[in-house]
Order: sequence, then structure tokens, then C-alpha cells
Amino acid sequence: MTARLDYSSYQFQGHDELCLQVGAIHAKTILIIPPLFDEMNRMRRMLVDMMRLLAEHGIGSILPDLPGTNESLFPQEQASLKIWRQALATCSETLSEPHHIASFRGGCLIDDFNDDAKKWRLSPAKGLTLLRTMMRTRMASDKEAGLSTDMAQLVAEAKQGQVDLAGNSIGHTLFAELEDALPAQSDSVRTVQLENNTKQADVRIAGSALWLRAEPGDDMLLSGAIATDLAAWVSA
Amino acid sequence: MSENTELTPEAAVRAVMQDILGLDEAQVAAFTAETELFGALPELDSMAVAGLLTELEDRLDIMIEDDEVDGELFETFGNLVAFAEMKAAE
Repeated sequence: MTARLDYSSYQFQGHDELCLQVGAIHAKTILIIPPLFDEMNRMRRMLVDMMRLLAEHGIGSILPDLPGTNESLFPQEQASLKIWRQALATCSETLSEPHHIASFRGGCLIDDFNDDAKKWRLSPAKGLTLLRTMMRTRMASDKEAGLSTDMAQLVAEAKQGQVDLAGNSIGHTLFAELEDALPAQSDSVRTVQLENNTKQADVRIAGSALWLRAEPGDDMLLSGAIATDLAAWVSA
Repeated sequence: MSENTELTPEAAVRAVMQDILGLDEAQVAAFTAETELFGALPELDSMAVAGLLTELEDRLDIMIEDDEVDGELFETFGNLVAFAEMKAAE
């Protein structure tokens, strides 16, 4: 894979937010919305491999940082789903006007900032699912430190301002949004699941659920299968 | 478009174990009720358990309370399946 990685940025509320871009010369560009929290780290390598493979299909892609994630200097505890949607709208205005949006896991909760775009989703996650995993991770690490924390305490802590969950400072706004957040219903969504998952899907592909693993990893078969499906979807 | 098909609790536990531990289908298919989990599988640490519980909630549409989770639950594959079956029947 020889496709070159380019770096660009978009301005959001006084911060410069990084974007990774591959194949900018191509006529079609897919905006990639990454998974949220830890899942983003575990899947980033797979996403970048997928972006390079998309370029081989003659399709460009852009992967922006969401404010408060990855390289962003935006205060993490001020991030919210609303702010992330605004940031994505800003990013798509300043850099290009992609009509195709591919989102992954928790990223599917914030792909509804542009009603005209076509949406593609891999294993869409509910906000509460992400929240409960992070609360359980915090409870497990507290337990190892000799502390006893339960979910009700963490919920109460979040309502008072912010709560630290699995290395993330979650502000009360984001916490409250995640408790109810579901991927937005839309007629123009293609939903993709892994083969061993029985949830509703337009297509199932082979690959590993990297977002559930303890460590970040790659999966070229998954990157390849996604790039092939995305290329066919964009060209349809 | 394929609809959400009925998933038995045992099949859900196997699928989640496969995803979380990065095992192949044959390895997970070889799990029996007596297969030891916590302590026997190095990948299954307390952090992995956090993801496992939430994934089971998601796939079986159940809610698992803090006080239902104890060490015994993860001793064997059989214990975990029995728990999932009990929760799914509630």
C-alpha cells in the first residue's frame, strides 16, 4: 500500500483540529467518523489501513479528530455529542463537501449533522452501552485499588459536574446525552455488522471486533472488506 | 435487509467470548460447561469482563446489576451460560 497520508486541519471554537487524509486527488471523498473513547484507539490502525485501501479503489477519505479526542487540545470535559456534530459540520464545510459519511460504533451517534449525506455504519453502538462499559472499567480499576464504587455513585458524580471513566473526563452534558443516545433513524443508511452478530444489517462481513479487544490491533481482512463495501456503496 | 434473528443465550456467550478474547470459532466451540474462565484465560482480565457484561446486555437485551456479578459467575463457561439463560428468561 503506497497511498500517501496527508494532514490538514479545521478550526473549531478557537482550536485547530487535525484531520488525516488519504487520496485527496480523487473526485469522491468519504468523511470517516471514528469510534468514541477507547474504541477509537483500538480501531485507528484498522481505519488507516482501510483509508489506504480505499485510495486504491480511487476514493479519497478524511478522518477528523473530534474536539477533545486524539490530538485535540479542546477541553475533554467540555465535549458533547452536540459539539461533535457541530465540529463535523464545520469540518465538512471547510475541507470538502462529502456526500458520503462512514461512521463506526459510537461515531454512528453523531453522523446526523447533514441530512443530505448518505450514511454507512459499522456495528452502531448505543450511548448507554459505551457508558456502561466505561463505568464497569472504572469500577474494576477502583476495586484493584481497594475501593468499592457502584454505578449509582458514578451516575451521581457525573450529574454534579464530571466523572473520570476509563481515562476519559466525561462532563455532565455528554454523560446525559449518552444515557439516551441511539443512532438516528434514516432511510439512507447502510448498516454493516460482523458475521457472528445477529443484529439487523444490510450486509455482514468477516473480521474481528477490534473495539472489544484489550489492546489496539489491526485486521487487514476487515480493512479490505470494509474498503470494498464502501467503494461499491459510493459508486452505486 | 436481514432482521434480528433469535439468539440463544449460549450462542450469545460464545460469540461474545470469541470477539473479546480474539479466539477463532473452533476454539470457542470447544468450550464446555466445565471450561474454566477467569484465571485460566489470561486475556480475560477484569477490564475484559467489563466489556463482556455490556456486550451480553446488548446482544440479549438484558440489564445486569452490580450485585449480580461475583467471582463465581466467571469460574466456568457453564456458570456464565446459566446466568445468561436466567437473565434472558426474566
